[in-house]
Amino acid sequence: MWAYVVRRLLVTIPTVLAVVTICYLLLHVTPGGPFDSERKVSEAVLANLQAKYHLDLPLWKQYLLYLNDLLHGDLGASFRYADWSVNDLVARALPVSLVIGGTAMAIAVVLGVGLGILAALRQNSAVDVAVMLLGNIGSVLPSFVLGPVLVLVFAIALPWLPSGGWDDFAPRYMILPIALLTLINMSTIGRIMRGSLIEVLSSNFIRTARAKGLPMRLVVMRHALRPALLPVVSVVGPLAIASITSAIVTESWFSIPGLGKLIVNGASDRDYTLVLGLVVLVTVLAVLLNLIVDLAYAWLDPKIRY
Amino acid sequence: MAALVDTVPAGRSPWHDARQRFLRNRAAVASLVVLALITLACVFGPMLLPNAFDSVDWNLMSAPPTRAGWHLFGTDELGRDLLVRTLIGGRISLMVGLLATVVSTCIGVVWGAVAGFAGGRVDGVMMRIVDMAYAVPYLLIAILVVTVFGRDILLVVGAIAAFSWLDMARVVRGQTLSIKSREFVEAARAIGVPTWRIILQHVVPNLLGVVVIYTSILVPGVILSESVLSFLGLGVQEPMTSWGVLIHDGAAVMGTSPWMILFPAGALSITLYCANFIGDGLRDALDPKER
Amino acid sequence: MSLRIVLASLLAIATAFAGAAAIPPGTVLSPRQEMVRNNGAEPESLDPAHTETVNATEIGRDLFEGLTSTDHQGNVVAGVAESWKQVDATTWVFRLRRNAVWSNGQPVTADDFLYGWRRYLDPKTASLSATIYAIYFVNGMDIVAGRKPLADLGAKALDPYTLEVKTPGPVPFLPGVMAAAQLAPQPRATIEKFGKDWTRPGNIVGNGAYVLKDWQVNSKVIVEKNPRYWDAANVQLTRVTFLCVEDSSADLKLYQSGEEDFMETLPPGAYAALKAQYPNEMRNDLLLGIRVYSLNNKDPLLKDVRVRKALSMVIDREVLAGRITADGQVPLYGLAVKGLAGAQPTRYDWADWPMDKRVAEARRLLAEAGVKPGTHLKFVYNNSDYHRKMAIFAASEWKTKLGLETDIDSLEFKVLIRKRHDGDFQIARNGWVFNVNDATILLNLAECDSDFNDDHSCNRAADALIAQAKLLDDPARREALLSQAARMMAEDYPMIPLLQYTAPRLVKPWVGGYGDSGGTDRYRSKDFYILKH
Repeated sequence: MWAYVVRRLLVTIPTVLAVVTICYLLLHVTPGGPFDSERKVSEAVLANLQAKYHLDLPLWKQYLLYLNDLLHGDLGASFRYADWSVNDLVARALPVSLVIGGTAMAIAVVLGVGLGILAALRQNSAVDVAVMLLGNIGSVLPSFVLGPVLVLVFAIALPWLPSGGWDDFAPRYMILPIALLTLINMSTIGRIMRGSLIEVLSSNFIRTARAKGLPMRLVVMRHALRPALLPVVSVVGPLAIASITSAIVTESWFSIPGLGKLIVNGASDRDYTLVLGLVVLVTVLAVLLNLIVDLAYAWLDPKIRY
Repeated sequence: MAALVDTVPAGRSPWHDARQRFLRNRAAVASLVVLALITLACVFGPMLLPNAFDSVDWNLMSAPPTRAGWHLFGTDELGRDLLVRTLIGGRISLMVGLLATVVSTCIGVVWGAVAGFAGGRVDGVMMRIVDMAYAVPYLLIAILVVTVFGRDILLVVGAIAAFSWLDMARVVRGQTLSIKSREFVEAARAIGVPTWRIILQHVVPNLLGVVVIYTSILVPGVILSESVLSFLGLGVQEPMTSWGVLIHDGAAVMGTSPWMILFPAGALSITLYCANFIGDGLRDALDPKER
Repeated sequence: MSLRIVLASLLAIATAFAGAAAIPPGTVLSPRQEMVRNNGAEPESLDPAHTETVNATEIGRDLFEGLTSTDHQGNVVAGVAESWKQVDATTWVFRLRRNAVWSNGQPVTADDFLYGWRRYLDPKTASLSATIYAIYFVNGMDIVAGRKPLADLGAKALDPYTLEVKTPGPVPFLPGVMAAAQLAPQPRATIEKFGKDWTRPGNIVGNGAYVLKDWQVNSKVIVEKNPRYWDAANVQLTRVTFLCVEDSSADLKLYQSGEEDFMETLPPGAYAALKAQYPNEMRNDLLLGIRVYSLNNKDPLLKDVRVRKALSMVIDREVLAGRITADGQVPLYGLAVKGLAGAQPTRYDWADWPMDKRVAEARRLLAEAGVKPGTHLKFVYNNSDYHRKMAIFAASEWKTKLGLETDIDSLEFKVLIRKRHDGDFQIARNGWVFNVNDATILLNLAECDSDFNDDHSCNRAADALIAQAKLLDDPARREALLSQAARMMAEDYPMIPLLQYTAPRLVKPWVGGYGDSGGTDRYRSKDFYILKH
């Protein structure tokens, strides 16, 4: 088992390298450069900028310089945010996104699993339909509709919470964005949980357990839940990554200084180093999360072996 | 005696059973009907209504719903009729939703099943490729593809499908890992059934449940991705529209012209709820263990 | 010395006494003098040598002060320089006040200005906006291009508190130029000590009315009153928070829920409704800026001036301003704008004709030029509901009045800019807001080899007049020449002027000191105060 973990962790390195190379090429091929601005930049200034950022070197040389810095943990200087290095920017944005996205995922899992169980146990009844209607709000209304609705209700009509902004992890600024992400994620989790649990509940070993006279609750908790959670765990990985790194609508609506904003702005500004730095981060996160998910599979289904 | 001999009881195929089960699910059936109505409205409605979807009327900008001039859903900020635009937008959203979902489901299922079933190195490589694809910034590729190849609705479908298959692959692979270690698979292997047959006859039917659910989760995601792309200027182009674009425009003026978001969001929500119930109904119906 | 220069000097001394925050007598101030303001996009830098966008220079002018400054009505007032005079056509002398100090107590001297200007223009600093202000110093452009060493800059310190600046030609508006955030003095010792990190709160040293307290990237910048500032007695606000919210709907929500006092801009299409809802809080001042459609003068279809004129004539700017954009912008029928100094505004003669007559004439011009109805036009703009609305309006005007079909394409911003600069477009939306109030800046948009000429138009005769005017010292003759050049350029129809920009926004009623900014939309925090509420 540990050999498997180590192997997976080692594979991170070529993975990151491959992604960085692909993105590097993509960035340089995409039309528009970091210094294109409304006012045409004069030749002299452009020459100065290219010299300063080594953009006048042949592409492969720039690439090697970048890799060299990367190996030393230096993600480079940002073009757009001239006073900050990419390391600084990532170090500031990552905790914010982790807290918001992570908390939202945790709550969404608890709620989604709960709702899914409820609906599965009362399959095809009115309760099932009601629970699914409620639980699916998050997947049926886009975040750029839910967000404004949440703000209208909780920040303007009932002035309980601020309508946006951020203040060093002050809880009142975190409630609405977390609520939005939770609503969106819990619907996916709920539906998969429901479907999966229904399937498991009609399998033979459950039949046996019930024939033995075990109460339903015990049957579910002790026997059915584990295998039923498998597909749920499969989606938690990608949902978590998306919530942490691509919550762009949530972040711009609630003015949260997280990773999503950096990525989208970085791509629009053609801020090469920033985009590459974030890509490295997302790759590492994706690999780690997927590893955890795969280990969870083994725990949930003892017959899965690596 | 003759009656008993003449009437040979017809066999009951599993598909027949599935259909019966589906029809018993009232929510699913109702959803199917509603969805069919919506599709018909989107396809034929614009041909029957007097307003064109792109005719601007500077005298009727942002007008609330009214019976006059058939502006039953009101007009947008350029005076264009919202009813027709919602229906036309529905065409695009439904088509993109369907196509992109079908494409990404196919790719995802095949990828995930092969990876899960093959296990070992092959699984490792295939899933690492999925990991890598996750990290690439979606936006950048979208910008690049559209600028190089020009704007085309099929490109939008392709761009969305290219990123939507990843989740499906992961889900399918996880499920396959679990299925392949079950007794009936072991049994099949023991008696020498060839691998491809095992996959087709044993693994795939057991995957159907999860795949169907996940597909119906994919649909809203795909439709929403299309709206984000269109908003950035990479999807449908003016004057053509889609539900995502209409909702996005309506969200900005929710406070002053609520009808602009109410109707398209309503249409989208109803469609997606229907898709969800149909998906759940299909899953229940196709479950091989249902009695 | 000519009478002109004497008058200029007297004027300079007079305005030098204008103070900050001119509070009307009898005003009751709130005990809590703090303001929260949305500043739009995250500033790219707070280093004067690297600031370029309005978002950054707005904060920059609170943290640093140049020789001069501009107040909330756009008047040029004294900054670190307490007086200045124009010694001859191309030489100015600025006298610095003795009591201006840095936030760490060190005095601000002429050398700090020289160090700052040289660092700003240094090719190694690679400042994006270097050429904008380099043109006002002798050898400035050469230094940026690396052709001359820094020491050759046309400025020197006559003594620690006196600066002499030499300009390449007469620049009558130089005091206004010196208010720019990029031309502020820079603290050499701090920069050499901290290097790239010198702008962090705690490291940064400035000479402005405020010091940097906190900087949370993509969230907010907080500044607090600088007790050592020479005019601190007249500064009311003790703390200003600049938010970095780009989404205008989010901005509105923050204003409505009381989280901010001062919006940056309005969500598109919301002006009329918001004005009705908050009549006392809506501000909408005219800016020195223009919205135009750039026409590629080299495009085969558009190279005929008759075609360009026809396209311009049929657009109903009254409907555009009154109904389509409906946010108080002013229709524009020429190349100069209200409030621009140095040239008479131009106005097309057909601006007052009834629309029917304009359409008939335009059709005639098109027929003469051989353009048939059904011809396709290609229009590009960058995504935004606002621009899209204007684009669709233009397309419908050209279709209904001239029978031309327009293919509208929305492009991602950087892609659009590239296409405009490279001339890879036919018609594109464009807009400019001027940082310095002089006609030469606006006319630069149509000069032959100008970096800012996206239309690729060229009128050598007009360019010659402008070049001539730039050498003149006499304001009346200068204005006459520039006006003539403006008229010539306008008649060329290089672009389609549409509207003059305004700055619509909501500001809470208890914020005092909001003026019309002289059309620049720049405000200093030291001019604001909070009324009791």
